[in-house]
Amino acid sequence: MTKKVKVAIVSLTACEGCQIVLLDLGKKFFDFLKKVELVDFGLIEETPFPKGKLGIAFVEGNPITKEDLRVLKKIRKQAKILVVLGNCAALGGIPEMKNYQGKEKTIRYIYKTLKNIVNPEIKEVDNFVKVDFTLPGCPITNTEFLKYAKDLIKGKIPKIPQKPVCSECPFWGKETCFLRKKEPCLGPITLAGCQAVCAKNNFSCYGCRGPLKNIKPQGFLKTLEKMRSKEEIEDDLEIFGLKDMIKI
Amino acid sequence: MKISIPHIHKTLGDAGFFARISQRGEVKELRIKVLEGLRQIEGILIGRRVWETPLIISRVCGICPTSHILNACQALEKALEIKVSLQTEHLRKLITAAQIIQSHSLHIFFMSLADFFDIEKETYLMKKFSKEAKAVLGLRDFALKIIEIVGGRTVHPIRPIVGGFTKVPEKEDYQKILESCKKAQKESFVLINLFKNLEYPELRRKTLFCSSFSRKEYPYHKGQKIKIGEEIFSPGDFFSNQIEEDLKEQPAKKVRFGNKAYMLGAIARIKNSSPYLDSEVKNVFQEFQNKNKYFFENSFYNTFCQAVEILHFLKEIENILKELLKENQQQAFQEYKISKGSGLGVLEAPKGTLFTYLDVDKNGRISDCIIITPTAQFLRNLEEDLRSLAPLTIKKVKHLIRAYDPCIACAVH
Repeated sequence: MTKKVKVAIVSLTACEGCQIVLLDLGKKFFDFLKKVELVDFGLIEETPFPKGKLGIAFVEGNPITKEDLRVLKKIRKQAKILVVLGNCAALGGIPEMKNYQGKEKTIRYIYKTLKNIVNPEIKEVDNFVKVDFTLPGCPITNTEFLKYAKDLIKGKIPKIPQKPVCSECPFWGKETCFLRKKEPCLGPITLAGCQAVCAKNNFSCYGCRGPLKNIKPQGFLKTLEKMRSKEEIEDDLEIFGLKDMIKI
Repeated sequence: MKISIPHIHKTLGDAGFFARISQRGEVKELRIKVLEGLRQIEGILIGRRVWETPLIISRVCGICPTSHILNACQALEKALEIKVSLQTEHLRKLITAAQIIQSHSLHIFFMSLADFFDIEKETYLMKKFSKEAKAVLGLRDFALKIIEIVGGRTVHPIRPIVGGFTKVPEKEDYQKILESCKKAQKESFVLINLFKNLEYPELRRKTLFCSSFSRKEYPYHKGQKIKIGEEIFSPGDFFSNQIEEDLKEQPAKKVRFGNKAYMLGAIARIKNSSPYLDSEVKNVFQEFQNKNKYFFENSFYNTFCQAVEILHFLKEIENILKELLKENQQQAFQEYKISKGSGLGVLEAPKGTLFTYLDVDKNGRISDCIIITPTAQFLRNLEEDLRSLAPLTIKKVKHLIRAYDPCIACAVH
């Protein structure tokens, strides 16, 4: 029998939703765990921080505290493959909005006078360590996790096909398309793989999976400007941390 | 002697524990150390638009996003004076009940059960308690299915918006869930039987129990009043005048009532509202409580109360589904106009009463936001309970912390 791959699932500062969606797979997730050696999953396991080499480390969240950074750097050294899970780790996510407001201003809404608060600028995980694979989304899509985890446990780095969310959208090419209804939707510039879950639930796409590679979104953004003010579009791009990647 | 636990596993978010004990056994210093980074979601919301506010607030927590998103909707509807349809109310009840079931079942089995034994590996736990593991996964699947059907997705639901939902389920969906209700109720008995036969550690300390309260029903989706100890307040009075956030401590603002600590969650709801439990559930609870004289002085029993609530909310789900099947389908959401205003949302999240306060300016932008989570409210009570543990051992400390089911991600946000 070949030795099972050592896997750690770790969380930096986060809502932990990307770990919860894994548990939401129920039996399928526990069947997946049988194929690997789970050495750290603090959410449901009481194990000390793993020592020695690891096959795969899955990392969720933003590095905000010193401890977050220490964990991130340590796990990177130990892991052959480092995978980031979710919008926060991949693109900065909701917490990155404070960068656009001016982080000193944001904190003062909460703590008017208190000093010594850890308040760094929010940066994506790949600013601190090398990332081998990104599973995007807020939260990640758990069936997509299982699909790519198969390659990852064989030591292969998968590639997510560079297709837009529209390719999975039930409204594509129809009168019901948000853009045709003059409602902003970032589907055309956003990486597919979520099965257009928001559109299916009658909510347009705000790009939580991040922009497609090798596209120039400016033309598309000009189209949006016919529907909404520039300020509104900037607000839209701020939700899931896209604004620093796409210049209007 | 010092007792230090750098990181408490199997809780949501990141926290540790530190205590210093004298040679005579007196606790000199004791605290829960919150290690989670501050995401500043309350600050981030300033200047944001009404429609996106529930979506952003949902991200406070990945285990109870449903509670956060619904409470933000509720607060904004009060601020903008929006009256939602009966269908919306029913769907919100349905998804809130399902949220409590999925969170409780995850917690009691995967996070808390091992503390009653010398087991550290949860995968091993699944072998030892295979029947119960099957039941708990069945229960979670049932609850998650409801959240998916009503909310569109289990984590960070998509459909709940200010005024209602972007889309509502079909009647066939209600029928399908209704058909699996009985199976889920049977599964919940498997859990109740497991948790009623466990040996709970001893602890005796009187405290105040706080929950939302109504004289009509067991509290969950919309808090009419707040009951704490024997006192009853309006939510606004309680939130603005009775409790205080400690702004000297960060990143979690520990809340107190006057100078007192108080307890929330399943045990507090049952303490304050047991007459309103479903009759079969009430019997199950009372039978257990009668055997344990100082039940409400021992927070370890919170875990048992969660098992009891699972059954109660399963029964509640059955009732709401029957209501929804009787009603005619209504429009998914209520249109609204932007105006200046402020509103406070109150509901029972799995771990206790959640307060979400939002101010909207005349342009429809958020001008103030305060979120007071259950964990921020009970952290102080947890510390006081920990002080009463004698002897203070690492195992007991971890067990008690986990019995509270804290969510540090929520407390810090």
